[in-house]
Amino acid sequence: MHEEPTQQLSLLLIILFPLAGAAINGLFGRRMPKGLVSFLGVGAVAVSFVLAILSFISLFGMRSDGVHEAALTYQFYEWFSLKMPSGAEVPINVRFLMDSLSGVMTLVVTGIGGLIHLYSVGYMSEDDGYARFFAYLNLFTASMLILVLGSSLPVMFVGWEGVGLCSYLLIGFWYENREYAAAGRKAFVANRVGDFGVLIGMFILVGVAGSFEFADINDVALSGGFEDGFPAWPFAAVPSLATVACLFLFLGCTGKSAQIPLYVWLPDAMAGPTPVSALIHAATMVTAGVYLCCRLSPLFISSDVAMAVIAVTGTLTALLAATIAVTQHEMKKILAYSTVSQLGFMFAAVGVGFFAAGFFHVFTHAFFKACLFLGAGSVMHSVHAHGDADIYKLGGLKKYMPITRITFLFSCLAIAGFPFSSGFFSKDEILLGAAAQAFRDDDPLMVGVGWFTLIGLTLGAIMTGFYMFRLYFLTFTGEYRSAEGSGDGHGYDAHPHESPPSMSIPLIVLGVGALIVGFLGIPHIAPGFGWHLDDYSWWGHWMEASVAGHELPEDLFVINLASGLALMAMLIGIGAAWVLYRNKSTDPIAEKAPKRVYQFIFDKWRVDEFYQAVIINPIKSVATVIGRSDLTFVDALLTRLPSLNARGLGQILARFQNGVVQTYGMVVVVGVAAVMAMFWMPRAQVEGQLERGNLQLVASPGLGYEYRWDANSDGNFDGAWSTERVYSPTYDAGDVRETVLYVRSPRTGASHHFELTEEWEVLPLDSLDPRWRRAKNTLPVAARLHEGGVQLRLNGAKKFGASDSPELLDLTMGRGTAVENLLVVPRQKIVATVEVRNAFGNVATASRNMILPDGYLPQPHAALVGEKEAQP
Amino acid sequence: MMTHTLTWLLLVPLLGSLFILIMPKQNEGAIKGASLLIMLGEFLLSLRLLWADYSTAGYRFVEQVTWVESLGISYKLGVDGLSLWLVLLTTALTPVALYASWGGVTTRIKEYAFSFLMLELGMLGAFVALDLFLFYVFWELMLVPMYLIIGIWGGKDRVYAALKFFIYTFVGSLLMLVAILYIVNTYEAIAGYYTFDLEKLTTLVLPAVPQYLLFGAFAVAFAIKVPMFPFHTWLPDAHVQAPTGGSIVLAAVLLKLGIYGFIRFAMPLFPVASQVIGPVLAGLGVLGIIYGAYAAWVQRDLKKLVAYSSVSHMGFILLGLFAMNRHGVSGAILQMINHGVSTGALFLLVGVIYDRRHSRMLDDFGGLAKVMPWYATVFVIVTMSSIGLPGTNGFVGEFMILAGSFFSRGTVGFGNTWFVMTLFAATGVIFAAVYMLHAVLRMFWGKVTHEENEGLSDLNRRETIALIPLVALVFWIGLYPKFFLDKMNPSVDAFITDFSVRYQESRGVSNPRIVGLQAIDPTDGGAYAWADDKGDER
Repeated sequence: MHEEPTQQLSLLLIILFPLAGAAINGLFGRRMPKGLVSFLGVGAVAVSFVLAILSFISLFGMRSDGVHEAALTYQFYEWFSLKMPSGAEVPINVRFLMDSLSGVMTLVVTGIGGLIHLYSVGYMSEDDGYARFFAYLNLFTASMLILVLGSSLPVMFVGWEGVGLCSYLLIGFWYENREYAAAGRKAFVANRVGDFGVLIGMFILVGVAGSFEFADINDVALSGGFEDGFPAWPFAAVPSLATVACLFLFLGCTGKSAQIPLYVWLPDAMAGPTPVSALIHAATMVTAGVYLCCRLSPLFISSDVAMAVIAVTGTLTALLAATIAVTQHEMKKILAYSTVSQLGFMFAAVGVGFFAAGFFHVFTHAFFKACLFLGAGSVMHSVHAHGDADIYKLGGLKKYMPITRITFLFSCLAIAGFPFSSGFFSKDEILLGAAAQAFRDDDPLMVGVGWFTLIGLTLGAIMTGFYMFRLYFLTFTGEYRSAEGSGDGHGYDAHPHESPPSMSIPLIVLGVGALIVGFLGIPHIAPGFGWHLDDYSWWGHWMEASVAGHELPEDLFVINLASGLALMAMLIGIGAAWVLYRNKSTDPIAEKAPKRVYQFIFDKWRVDEFYQAVIINPIKSVATVIGRSDLTFVDALLTRLPSLNARGLGQILARFQNGVVQTYGMVVVVGVAAVMAMFWMPRAQVEGQLERGNLQLVASPGLGYEYRWDANSDGNFDGAWSTERVYSPTYDAGDVRETVLYVRSPRTGASHHFELTEEWEVLPLDSLDPRWRRAKNTLPVAARLHEGGVQLRLNGAKKFGASDSPELLDLTMGRGTAVENLLVVPRQKIVATVEVRNAFGNVATASRNMILPDGYLPQPHAALVGEKEAQP
Repeated sequence: MMTHTLTWLLLVPLLGSLFILIMPKQNEGAIKGASLLIMLGEFLLSLRLLWADYSTAGYRFVEQVTWVESLGISYKLGVDGLSLWLVLLTTALTPVALYASWGGVTTRIKEYAFSFLMLELGMLGAFVALDLFLFYVFWELMLVPMYLIIGIWGGKDRVYAALKFFIYTFVGSLLMLVAILYIVNTYEAIAGYYTFDLEKLTTLVLPAVPQYLLFGAFAVAFAIKVPMFPFHTWLPDAHVQAPTGGSIVLAAVLLKLGIYGFIRFAMPLFPVASQVIGPVLAGLGVLGIIYGAYAAWVQRDLKKLVAYSSVSHMGFILLGLFAMNRHGVSGAILQMINHGVSTGALFLLVGVIYDRRHSRMLDDFGGLAKVMPWYATVFVIVTMSSIGLPGTNGFVGEFMILAGSFFSRGTVGFGNTWFVMTLFAATGVIFAAVYMLHAVLRMFWGKVTHEENEGLSDLNRRETIALIPLVALVFWIGLYPKFFLDKMNPSVDAFITDFSVRYQESRGVSNPRIVGLQAIDPTDGGAYAWADDKGDER
């Protein structure tokens, strides 16, 4: 279903509305009233959301009508095109496509994104850059929509880098704080490193598939087009094209979706206003990597190596980030590491081949993570914390902020995987996927990966429950630690209050969503006794059309194992937090754990410092050396050195201009002597030329020269001395000294005169045309002088145009004949001599070999030109 | 008038400069207005070039008049898809540069306007000349006004910079002149008459060794102009010292002549040498990408930073050009326009802040976004274009160039030099973000740390008017490059086909000859055409 007959304009409009909102608010927002800015900013996304719902409904309708690969498309225009080595034009179309995958994603982006816009109306109401903020937010949404709806890699890449730009602008939104701005830059550069991978991966894909469209690439992947080995690979174990392409693409995913090694930007991204964090972490940006993997799932699944790398990376990231989250003090920071960790879960699901499960976690995560961030924002708004809020200065907020508290609790339950909340279903499916791989019997690599993932993710899930409820208990239970009279006086506002409706309504919607949206993914076999609830989970059925992946297992043991582990992890995590932190105000872990280890983890495993020391500083040093040496070393080599040379030469020459007359006189004498010496002996030289069909010999001119000619060099001069330097002789057969064979290759333009004898001699024709030997499997051609003419022995080579090959071929003097692709002409050579006498009476002689023009004997008609100069 | 568009295109700045010469010196306002009007008229006139059919290759608006008959020198002009956009870039950017200059240039207004018009004449002439002699004349002609612009209206070390610029470029040009004379002479030896006509000279097939030497001579001249690493050291000096307008024209147009020289002259004339040495130059381009980016990163002078970023960007263009496939070459030409627009705009923006603060040192700034919000906005937009963010012009060019290099020799793999070069070149995308965002961070973000910066005024009307067309082009090329590519692609296709044909013709040749001419080979002893031999057989 690559070509859709009808153009769905709504797809374009979904993108254009936020884009227009961004343009208007960005250009004129500063002069518009705040109400209008909010109306445009929120309204644009709201309209997009409505359009997205309408499109989704018609998509849904198509599916219900039995169209399996239902999709809506809109072809906007051709952006540009590439011409592949095969000569085929590969167009890059600005084309949008909504199928089951991008449809869901569009709803999430516009829906949750819209709620975040609404929330920002209240949250940002007192900020100076209100209009700017909404412009960025709208641009962010538009970029994400381009990313999601783009039907080809380059168009997706526009959105991909677009969200990178917007995150740069939004993280650094409060640019007056230079550290915030630096965090924005870090995000952009880390993303750029990933974009480099996407770019290269994209080239490999288009090189093989001959198309940038996702659908075409997936078709090629399904038909095994990427299974060939990667060409020109320097090592023994050759990876498949799919592996190399997927790993490059995955590098991009680690940048955008904050996985090891490029995750470091995301925690710093807290510098932005809280709605931005919600937008980045929940609805947009970080989900892009998972989205890309799902979009190209047939490609990814065709490379076991890449899948294993993804699963292991995801698991490690999930663990690493979870350990850091356990130790942090600040709300947004904990949530940020929680996002990194949850993204690890999603990639682990992708890596074990359960794309739909990974994407289901994207979907549920969007609800609870948005709610958590907005809840954190609501807390910060209420206690007037700027930047971030230290949970040890909070506590007991459930009294003051009931709505925030209850929605926050819902989301914590969901992320921890409390039964029947959304996270329960999605996390369960991921563990199920890992378990399914662990119990495979055909592929030892994937079995290992499966066990690693299963155990790692279970540990991760335990920590998830733990750190989330640590956050919840320390924030909402116990006593408020910044109340008047408590703490050290560096706390927050003493009178927290519930946030305005524009902020609490999104919280309620998202909190409820966090609880219930998981029911879309109720598995078809319930754990425990194995009830068949339905033929299929709704989610799996819906996604199946656009996402590849393994079948979920039917084995009850595997299902029960995964569910049991998930349930156990949740209970241990929440239970431990309950014991340690409920109504408490201190951190027992920080007190009990070995100081060094705790500090190391608290310092985020010192990864930033590691990168600084191992990557950034060396590059910076090289850059400094280059920057310094460019104008000293390189410039010195290319400008100062030559200029010094010139100056030095000038100084040497200047020595002679010293004004000493004796020196000048000396120079004059030497000069005169040199000139005299030159005139003492005459200079003899002969040239041949053709003047109106007559052969002429021309001797070099000179003052007072006289000439005497011997045209055939028989020793007898043809006449007396004369001053005429041009001489027109006539030659006959008796004057001919030698017969030579001229051979020329018209293809290469190379030619040669071969000297012949009475004996057969092989002609080295290869030197004229390298193809001669390769093309003709013949014996070499030989030539000899025979009865005053030239005879060739062809040895199987063909006379041009003749069908048979005579063994011997007599050539006519001066007449060209074609042998295969070479031209052969026998020619005759004479020797001309001139004697020159100057005024001093000195005599010089010059002789020259001349080849007579073709056909000169018997009919003269062509040019006479010298061949080799004989010594005078 | 319509029949001699190109001649008029050259006459307008020439007559215009003469007109400026007779205007009274004191009347500066009138001189400014008149020179700008002349250039705008020139721009409108150049739009006429768009009204031609570029769907096939070949020269349009060709004019040919014999100049020196005995030496075969003719006044021959023409444009095709390769030069069309460069001509338009020149006519569009020169008025912008002149207009932007009036912030910093306050003395000798008349001479400045005169120099600018002469400069425009030289640049346009070099782009449209199809006769090697004529090309050389224009090539040298533009050197003089640029020398004056840097040397008279430049900064503190202007004389050194101007001299360095002049000598550096001139040395390269002289080598090229020698090479041109050699070709013409060789042609004469075979054909029996002299000609400087490019189309005739490209039929001359030379053996490998002279090709290498001659290509080397041309390449040095062009590589200096580009500038290609390691011949780039004149550029930072020239840029830092040149007045804003000079920097804009230097970056936007003058550097392009180097690349254009490769496309129009060096590569068609010496296909074998291009094929062999081309990858080396592409490799130097890649080196330049990284080297320029590194050097840019540690600069403290904003203008120097932008100058080194030019070295990096021009490296991309070299890479695309020598990839010798459609998207590589088209991408290179498009990227020339892009670089002209974005780097031109960057120099303009540097000029804006220099006019206000008389400093370009990054240490002297910080927090300007608060003080000059529109300035910051435009700066960030142009930065994104320079970085190559999709949706802006830079992306399309870089994408095409990288794709060109990636697919340059068919196969892909780590054993393939082009693949490895593509990988390294693509890291330039990362470093571009590093150094440009470094500059943005130091300039605009943070608090205003210097009191002098607090009262700075935002973009004024003149600067805004000068910037608007550039920003519009950033998005136009970024979003709808097809408009530009469609006009150049047929010519690029033909360029590549012709190149491979000529390459085949001149491979393994041991004596010079002329394709399509009955060769009179000096050692042949007489002409003998292959066609005649077939006749003999019958």
